[in-house]
Amino acid sequence: MSADVELQNVSVSFGNFYAAKNVSVKIEKGEFFSFLGPSGCGKTTLLRAISGFSEPSDGQILIGNQDMAGIGPNKRPTSLIFQNLALFPLMSVADNIAFSLEVRGTGKVQRRKRADELLELVALSGQGDKKVHELSGGQRQRVAIARALAIEPEVLLLDEPLSALDLKLRQKMRTELREIQKRVGITFIYITHDQGEALTMSDRIAVMNQGELEQIGSCHNVYESPRTPFVATFVGENNAFYGTVSAVDGDMVNVLADGHNFLAKAGDLGEGKKYTFKKDDKVIMFVRPESIFLKDQNNQADNIFTAGFKAIEFEGNLKNIYMSIDGKQNVRCSVSNAVDTTDLSNSKNVELKFSSRDAVVLPVGPLAVD
Amino acid sequence: MKSQQALKILLGIYIFIFFAYLFGPLVIMSITAFNSAEFPSITPWECFSFRWFNEGKIAYDGQHLAGLATDWRLHEGLITSLKIGLGVVLLAVPIGLSAALVLTQVHSRLRTAFYSLSIMPVLFPGVIIGISTVVLWDRIATMGGGGLATELGRNGIFLTILAQACFISTYCFLIFVARLQRFDQTQEEAALDLGANQTQVFFKILIPYMMPAIASSCVIAFLASFENYNTTVFSILSDQTLTTVIASKVRLGISPAISSLALVIILITLTVTIIYEVLRRREDKKKKELEAEALFAQTLDSRLKKAKTKGLKIPKSIFGILFVVVVCIFGFNKMVEKGMYGSTCIAASEKEKKSNFADQLKLLQKNAEKASQQSSENGDVGEKKEFDSIFGDPNLFKDFGGFDSKTQDQD
Amino acid sequence: MKYFFNKNGPLISTYLIIAISFWFVFLIIIPQLYMFDLSFRPNIPSLLRGGPDDVYTLIHYKHFLFGSQTSGESYNYVDVGVFFNTLLIAILITLINLCFCYPIAFYIAKVASPNTARLLIVSLIIPFWINELLRSFALRILFAGEGFINNALLKLGLIDNGINFIAMDVALYTGLNYAYILLMIFPLYNAMETLDKNQLEAAEDLGSSMLKTHFRIVIPHAKAGIASGCTMVFMLTAGALATPVVLSSPNTFWFTQLIYQWFNMNDNWPRGAAYSVVLLSVSVVFVLLMMRIFKVKIGEIVR
Repeated sequence: MSADVELQNVSVSFGNFYAAKNVSVKIEKGEFFSFLGPSGCGKTTLLRAISGFSEPSDGQILIGNQDMAGIGPNKRPTSLIFQNLALFPLMSVADNIAFSLEVRGTGKVQRRKRADELLELVALSGQGDKKVHELSGGQRQRVAIARALAIEPEVLLLDEPLSALDLKLRQKMRTELREIQKRVGITFIYITHDQGEALTMSDRIAVMNQGELEQIGSCHNVYESPRTPFVATFVGENNAFYGTVSAVDGDMVNVLADGHNFLAKAGDLGEGKKYTFKKDDKVIMFVRPESIFLKDQNNQADNIFTAGFKAIEFEGNLKNIYMSIDGKQNVRCSVSNAVDTTDLSNSKNVELKFSSRDAVVLPVGPLAVD
Repeated sequence: MKSQQALKILLGIYIFIFFAYLFGPLVIMSITAFNSAEFPSITPWECFSFRWFNEGKIAYDGQHLAGLATDWRLHEGLITSLKIGLGVVLLAVPIGLSAALVLTQVHSRLRTAFYSLSIMPVLFPGVIIGISTVVLWDRIATMGGGGLATELGRNGIFLTILAQACFISTYCFLIFVARLQRFDQTQEEAALDLGANQTQVFFKILIPYMMPAIASSCVIAFLASFENYNTTVFSILSDQTLTTVIASKVRLGISPAISSLALVIILITLTVTIIYEVLRRREDKKKKELEAEALFAQTLDSRLKKAKTKGLKIPKSIFGILFVVVVCIFGFNKMVEKGMYGSTCIAASEKEKKSNFADQLKLLQKNAEKASQQSSENGDVGEKKEFDSIFGDPNLFKDFGGFDSKTQDQD
Repeated sequence: MKYFFNKNGPLISTYLIIAISFWFVFLIIIPQLYMFDLSFRPNIPSLLRGGPDDVYTLIHYKHFLFGSQTSGESYNYVDVGVFFNTLLIAILITLINLCFCYPIAFYIAKVASPNTARLLIVSLIIPFWINELLRSFALRILFAGEGFINNALLKLGLIDNGINFIAMDVALYTGLNYAYILLMIFPLYNAMETLDKNQLEAAEDLGSSMLKTHFRIVIPHAKAGIASGCTMVFMLTAGALATPVVLSSPNTFWFTQLIYQWFNMNDNWPRGAAYSVVLLSVSVVFVLLMMRIFKVKIGEIVR
């Protein structure tokens, strides 16, 4: 029922412009796989190539080990859920869901039966006779899923289907999507620019930028061991310290930045390898805001520094503290709301610390621009 | 502040004048349909009668002025117009639809060229479309040598359908393009993705979506065909449509029967518009109620007001209609009282006119002699004679245009 | 092409191609080209077409400019006069229509409440669906010698004798103005409706006078609508036949009436075709001119 999807050196170009360039990835059977990247990075192009709406200008797409070249979208074992859902407004909910059966000539009674089954699967029993516009946003979402599942595709492709929903509903739908995927057990390929969505739902994530793959890995892997400055700053928040290598000791690197000598680990290159640096290399050291702590008397850490206080921002569960070193290097630190920060506003300088295990050193490269 | 108010009043007056200009002539024409006089006018008012809707009358000078119900030429023209309208709808709507669909699929430069060609017929003067169709098909008919081509090429109805379809297709095209612009193309993709083939996508997704546009372009195409004159007058050849019949009637002398025809058309238009408007408002209201309900279901608190309990609400327009009806009944009563309705009134006015008839006839003859003298004087090969031949004797106008021949002589 | 077939499937592709090529080729291009060709040919019976007498000639265009060879005048003052009179009047009527309709369109688009606007639009459409001939007829009733206006004026004692409105062409010009008023209002209205009301308020807030607001904000915004309305009204007025037939006086002619005459009365089709080509060229030139002046695309003119 489920199939693996393999992209081999796939490029999609429009004229001189490469929307996707030389992408190779193997997506396993029954996996929840996400392509994550900013808008315009080529992820939607890739999805359209997989579903058959555009042909790759180079490379091959294999679904279940079968080359898909020249096979139209209506003949592929994939179903696509569109960003705007593309429900048919003139049909009832049940007709929408059973559309794929209708065009294959299935009888009316059987269609209705299947539609009811699917409505139950997405927790919409009894809503089959409504018109699409009578449903709420979340319900429409579920109808779109049910419609895509009606012909039992081997691969379900999802093109940012949650982007139109408001925050609470989006969070709820994430859980639901994940559950549906587990229940039906087919391969999901999910496209999003929202790292929260990708991290919560996926088994593996591919981060894309400017048409190229930056990194493929599990959620933990991508978050904790970014391979490029782009990934480091695009997935989650990060403080970037520009500096030079002053000493190398195995995997540990000393970085001279803003008058401080920090100790950090070298970044992962994948497949167990790590970046190797030598003295005077220009590098960026990344430390996540939640890994920087306000220094207190009790515990020690291998990196301690002082920064000037600028502002504090309340975010509910967290507080973001904005500081700067010598007025140039900005530092952001996130602490739990439970931490008392009343005297911070009065003091000019704040003492901070972080562990070398939480700091990653990468060669200089472009960041994800906010 | 005060100048603003003055401006508003001025604007109001302007709008009033504008609409008076728009409707005044039509209203006056409608009223003349009920005047029994053979020249359509309000003053002098002869008698109130329905004769122009029914049998018409034999005028005092012996000319038969047919009423609406007895004018067989109008009836034949109407039937021809209906046939042509149907043909145009069948031809123009599919053409317009196909062009609009293709427009969404061609790009950049080709698109501009395609679009320009598609809308060109609207920019052509209507007479030219009629003429070009006729000359082309006359040639085809001559070359056809008696076969089907000849028969078609000499068939006015066929030619008129072609000529009208030429530019009415553009109307349909524009309607479809407007609708397609709002079409979400991902729906087609979704259907394809779900396994439909292209033909299925067309019939199951596109056509249902286009249905309102198809309906309205059918109506527009039919109406445009029905009321077209400029193109039809050339392409119809020896046949007659309603518009060409009206035109020849108007040209030969104006009769109140045309007023009554206009009134019928106005009433039909009004009825259709009002029905359409009422239906639309009802739908709007329903939609609003549905939306309110959905909102109510979503917002679970009591911030929203409950829907008002439905009472017997009388729309304000009813008072307007009632007022018109009352005025009509009152006016009609007054007219009957004064003896301005019925056969006695008509008989009386006939008698009076007959006594004037002899004088009128003399004047008419005098004028005709004078005019023919003039035209032979300056009419060698010049245009003058040709013009006269189309528009007939100019004196004809004088009498039927209701001009007092004495003032004409003084000019 | 292959992409086209793939996208639409064989059945629909065939339908699209047949319908469009029938329209473009048989209804639009070939008739116009043939008419153009015919305008350069002598007036001979249609059976002799293609024979030795059927040669290219400019006599019809010459006739338009210089008149028939038998007449003594060096130019065809009658026809050329009618031609320029038609153009001039058409331009005047277009301008008058524009000034006349602008306030109404603005009122409906931006001042009136949605319900009022809707009502006004519907009442604008109603007269439009009534045949042009009948609308002209209504005006003829008003303007006739014993018509409504004359009688009213006589009764009020403003005049002593009836005014011959038809011979003075007042009736014709009013009729042409009346006939296409809606084709001016709708493009204007459509263009103005898209104007954000906030812009007007902002202009007022910044101290702009009303006139200035119109010249700096509304008119530039409604440019395409103005171009569209003017083009449509001019084309229809210059190409009008129904209104002149009903309302023109026996000694005034509209250019279309000349064409009609060569066609139906004098049976000189090539000459009628030549006159049509003249009219068509003027139309094309006018559209191009409007596109130039207003810097709009053809698609913005016809909507």
